[in-house]
Order: sequence, then C-alpha cells, then structure tokens
Amino acid sequence: MDCGIFATSYREDMAVLFTPAAKAKVAVIIALFLVFPLLVNDYYTSVANLVAIAVIGALGLNILTGFTGQISIGHGAFMGVGAYTVGVLTTKLGLSYWAALPLAGFMAAMVGAVFGIPSLRLKGLYLAIATLAAQVIIEYTIMHWTGLTGGSAGIVIQPPTLGSVSLTNDTSFYYFAFCLTLIAVVATVNLFRSRVGRAFMAVRDRDLAASVMGINLLQYKVMAFGLSAFYAGIAGALLAGYQRVITPENFTVDVSIQYLAMIIIGGLGSVMGSVYGAVFIILLPIGIRAAAGFVGAFFPDIQNLLLAAQTAFFGLIVILFLIFEPEGLAKLWNDVKNYFRLWPFSY
Amino acid sequence: MRLRGLWVVLLCVCLAVTLVAVGCGKKETATEPAGTEAPKEPVKIGGIFDITGPTGDVGLPYSEGVKAYVAYINSKGGVDGREIKLIDIDYAYDKTKALEAYNRLVKQDKVVAILGWGTGDTEALKQIIATDKIPYISGSYSEGLLDINVCPYNFLLASSYSDQARTALKWAKDNWKGAAKPKVAFIYNDTPFGTSPIADGKKYAADNGFEVVNDEIVDLKALDATTQVLDLKKNKADFAIVQGTSNLASIVLKDAKKNGLATKFIGLNWAADEKVIALAGPAAEGYIGVIPFAFPNEDVPGMAAIKEYLASENEKIEDKTQKFVQGWNSTMVMCEGVKLAGDDVTGEAIKSGLEQLADFDTGGLANPVTFTATSHRGSEKVRLAEVKSGKFEYITDWIGYK
Repeated sequence: MDCGIFATSYREDMAVLFTPAAKAKVAVIIALFLVFPLLVNDYYTSVANLVAIAVIGALGLNILTGFTGQISIGHGAFMGVGAYTVGVLTTKLGLSYWAALPLAGFMAAMVGAVFGIPSLRLKGLYLAIATLAAQVIIEYTIMHWTGLTGGSAGIVIQPPTLGSVSLTNDTSFYYFAFCLTLIAVVATVNLFRSRVGRAFMAVRDRDLAASVMGINLLQYKVMAFGLSAFYAGIAGALLAGYQRVITPENFTVDVSIQYLAMIIIGGLGSVMGSVYGAVFIILLPIGIRAAAGFVGAFFPDIQNLLLAAQTAFFGLIVILFLIFEPEGLAKLWNDVKNYFRLWPFSY
Repeated sequence: MRLRGLWVVLLCVCLAVTLVAVGCGKKETATEPAGTEAPKEPVKIGGIFDITGPTGDVGLPYSEGVKAYVAYINSKGGVDGREIKLIDIDYAYDKTKALEAYNRLVKQDKVVAILGWGTGDTEALKQIIATDKIPYISGSYSEGLLDINVCPYNFLLASSYSDQARTALKWAKDNWKGAAKPKVAFIYNDTPFGTSPIADGKKYAADNGFEVVNDEIVDLKALDATTQVLDLKKNKADFAIVQGTSNLASIVLKDAKKNGLATKFIGLNWAADEKVIALAGPAAEGYIGVIPFAFPNEDVPGMAAIKEYLASENEKIEDKTQKFVQGWNSTMVMCEGVKLAGDDVTGEAIKSGLEQLADFDTGGLANPVTFTATSHRGSEKVRLAEVKSGKFEYITDWIGYK
C-alpha cells in the first residue's frame, strides 16, 4: 500500500513516468488502442476516428484557454482554416495530402496568431468577443469566397493514400489518426515541462507578475494563439481527410462551443482532461441514443422525449460540471484513483 | 470528502448504465432462412432526420411521411415480399452527428440505402456515400449534388433549388406588367442550404431582364426580420425569392405586412407549406409557393394510399402537411428502386434500379420522376401556388424554366 511517490534523484524527478507500474500501464493502454480496431466492428472504429480528431482539437484549445488563460470562441473557424488549406492545396495546387497536412497546421497557426494580437490588450469577456469576431469573419470568408472554397458545395478531395494503403478504410485511418493523437498528447505533456509552457502558465496565473519576471507578454500570448490554432488546423485537416469533403457547416460557432464544452468537462489546464472531454462529448449523443433505445424497449413513449431533450441534457451536464467539479473529468478520475489507492485509510 | 464518495458512486453507476445500454444496442443475430418458404430477408434502409433541430419544423412531418410509407408498404407485404426495415436517427441538423449517424447506419446496421435530410450534411457525406455505394435520397435539392462524377449515388427527386428559383423568376418575368425592369431580392439563411440557389438565381435574374436589388440574410430560427424587410421596402423590390423553412418565411411575411410592403414573395419548396399560413395568418395572403409535391387536400390517385394508411392508424389527412407527402414520396421512389434492384439487394443494385425509372408516376403526388445513368435530376418541373383566403391555390400547371 503506497502513501505517495517520492523521487530520489533529479532524473527521476524529471521523468514523465518513472515507476515501472506507470510505464507498464501506459504500454498496456497503447497496446489496447492498437488492437482496438481488430476487436470491434467498423462503426466503433469510425467513432474512435471522430474522437481522435476531437482530442487533437481539444488539446489545442486547452493550451490556449486552460493553460494560458486566453478564452477563444473561434476554435471551430481555425479548424476550418486547416481543412480548407488542405482542400485548396490538394485540389488547386496538386500537392499531396501529406504535404498539405503540416502546411494546414502552419496556415491555421498564422491566422490564429493574427487574431491573437489583440489579446495583449483584451482580456476575459472582451477577448471572447474578439475571438468570436474571428469565428464570424473566417466563416463568412469561407462561405462567400466561392472561387477558392466552393461556397456551400465545398471542396471534394481525393482520399489520402500511403503507399498502397488508402485511408478511406476506417481501420487504416484509425492507425494514422491514433499516431497523430499520440504525438499531440506527448508533445503537449512535454510542452508544459518546458520554458514556453511554464511561461504560458505564468501568463494565465497573473500576467502582470509574469511580465515582471521577464516574460514577453505579447510574444507568449500570440504564441499560445498560434500553437492552439496549429492543433486546430491539424484537426481540421484530419477531418477533411476523413470526410473527403470540406463544407462550411463543419466549422461553425457551434463547433467552437462544443470544443469549449469539451475542455470544461474534461478539465481546464489538464492534458488528459482534453482527452476525456473529447471522448465524453463525442460519446454523449451516442450514449443518450443507446440509453433511449434501451429505455424505449420498456416505455416506448419516453424514447422520443429523451431524444428531444438531448440538447437540454448537454446543457445540464455542463452546468453540473461547472458547479460540482469545475476541474472536470480529469480531477474526477484522479479522485477515483486516489479513493481506491488510499482505501480504506483515506485520511 | 463525503461529496467525493458520492461522485465515485455516481460515476460507477453512469458507467454501468452506459455499458449495459451500449451492450444492449442492436445486436443483429443473422438468422438464415432454413426452408424454401421462409420469408426473404428484410431490406434495411437508414433514415437521417432532423426532428429536433433548426429545420425540425419541416423535418418532423417529412420523417413522419417516410415512416408512414414504410409501415404502409410493409402492411402490403413489403417490396416483392421483402419487408422494409427503417432504422432512423435524429441528428438535429448537426454535421458531426450526421457523420456519426451515417457511420452507424452503414457500418453497424448495414443498411443498403439512406433517406437523408439537410444540404450541409448531404454535401459533406457525398464522397463517402460514393465510396460506400449507398443510394441516398435526401431532403436537399441542392444543385451541388447533381454532379454525377462526384456524387453518383445521390438522387434528387424534385427540381433542384436552383431550378426552382429559375422557374419562379421566369414566371415572375412572364407575368410582369410594369414598364421598368422588375426588381428582385433574395431572402435566405446563411447556410449551405440557404445559399445553394442564390448564385444561380442571381445569374438567371440578371440574364433575364431583372434588376437584382439586394440580399437579405434571415436566420432559420429568427423571430424578427424587420431590418431586412425595411431594406426591401427602401429598395422597392418587386419580387423576393425566399429560401428557408416555413418558420423563416412566416416571419418575413408577418414583418412585411406590418411594414406595408408591396413586394411579391415567392418561397421555394421548404419555405412553402400549410405551416406558413398557420404561422403567418392573414399576412400570408398573396404569398406564392414553389410546390414540387402535392398538398394532402388534392384529389390525385396517389393520395388514396395515404388516406388508406392514415385511416388504419386512426389519423386524418387534414392533420398532415405537404411535407408529409414529400417524405412519403421520397420513400416510395426509394422502394421502387429496391423493387427494380432484383433479388440481390445491394446499394449498387438499388442505384441501377433507380436509374431505370423513366417518368415514374407517383400517382400525381409529384411530377413524374426520371433517373438515368448520367443524370439524377429527377424532375425539372414544379407548380406555383398562391395563398388565397388562407389556402394555397395553384396558379400554374407543372412548369419548368426552359
């Protein structure tokens, strides 16, 4: 029975996973993810693909909002920038998807950084509205610059292929998306062990104090916006590669709000929280539908009611989280772990 | 600390319920018909509907029409002795949910065809639909779905939004008595659905002697359109093409009446049904609808089956709207495709079945539908109807713009 973990060397102190048990656990989890598509049918794999895309997007938003304290309601639009960059580069310039994918990230990062500039002067609600403006402007541009974006019909791209493997297949896409998600998670975990990440957190906690300590506020705030948008761009590009059609409706303000809900429910300022939140939000409607079907077998009338109340249910869950567990699912999960680890001597 | 324990319990309960619920989801047990007289395997068709979302005002009756036809055809012994099994999902006009719902229908439930709904999601799915070979009839008549090379599996039952707008404009031009160029405005919502016919409509208007005065954006869920209506008044628009749903049209009409506009409003398919009259009341007088499908009160042969079905369910046709007929019609055409698909019902077979339809008559419920291997433009003709003393009355026969 352990009552805590104590590092006895600097090397141990710096390690992400330093107990053998933790290493084994991570290895098992990764192995489980690798065999996952072999165990379930294509439908569950396709859901996992949507989750993987959402995880990358949520990580990006959490870097900005959870770790740097800069609220953004324009995340959906930055995803759109990434998706449309892929669309335009592959169809108009004939680039391959693989070349367009990182470029989509950089393009979104650039656009994100530009909209991040006002963040030096604007805080809280004011910044929220400024980022909402970014959302509206980008959405409008996508919708009306039909020569470039195809307007409402969108852009159709060729399915990405890797050698002889085409990513139209859910399983092959899963492995690709899973690798990217893993890289994104590891990169984000390490980001917050670096100077840049620490600076982000200093800015979040008290930007005046951070500035006194020699952190260039404009530089770091814009960097946070750019980095966050980079993740969004990659997520958008992934979605484009998955759907193979890019239309404006995938990048509306609703999507931005959905991502905000993900990080709130998952846990602001927590890397794993972004993952849990993304999983939760994507699975929620599926879960409600399954529950409604299950209940409907006994009480047919309730089924429609449950389905109709989906949106209300979504709102209720966000409110409950804000009240009872503002630190989200990540904290909740830690509490559960600690409860069992310390049981029966929890005091 | 006590609260924390509660959370743990709650979490475990939620987890358990979810696991049970998911586990109890549709588990298809493949039952192989043993004898020769065993019934044929049912044909599974998916439905992606908007029942609770922003287009639910027209989406709900449409979905009811689909379900009603499926129940009706099954009560008649199905299609060629095969039962039609409809698996439907309400996606609330949410694009991510549409993709997820589509994946579930195709990958888990293994449906062979889908009756879909919105423009945005149908457009977003078109590439995947083509890869999966799933014939798809949606509630969207967007011109963007007609490119046979990109969307070989999408079928448009009625005149496309662009054709509807052109037909309306042609009629307006033919009936214009003023000396000056008629002024036309476009009222729409800023979604792929709303903007779908606008560019084509404007081009047609400009080429055919209209002066295009202004674009007005009205949200699908708007409760007020005073600003937009006043703008129309200022620009003295003679005609306004309305692309939206019944709610949007009724708001525009009410505000137009309040502000004393002389503009003639012409609503495309989804903006024209009985609901507009019910919501707008006297303000709907003189409103013109582009009607590709019949109203329930019409005396056409195809209506008999609807009446027969509703009677068996103790429902009245008076309670149904034109959108119900529309859903019924879509399903009827899809089932005809299934019938022509032959014994091996696959997506590809249904596609070629649908492509055999030539002037397929739905008993007057719509203009006869024709699909060929190179064109999935089911029809180009619509009728125009004007609201006179609280009722839509046809002012034209089936017309097109050509």
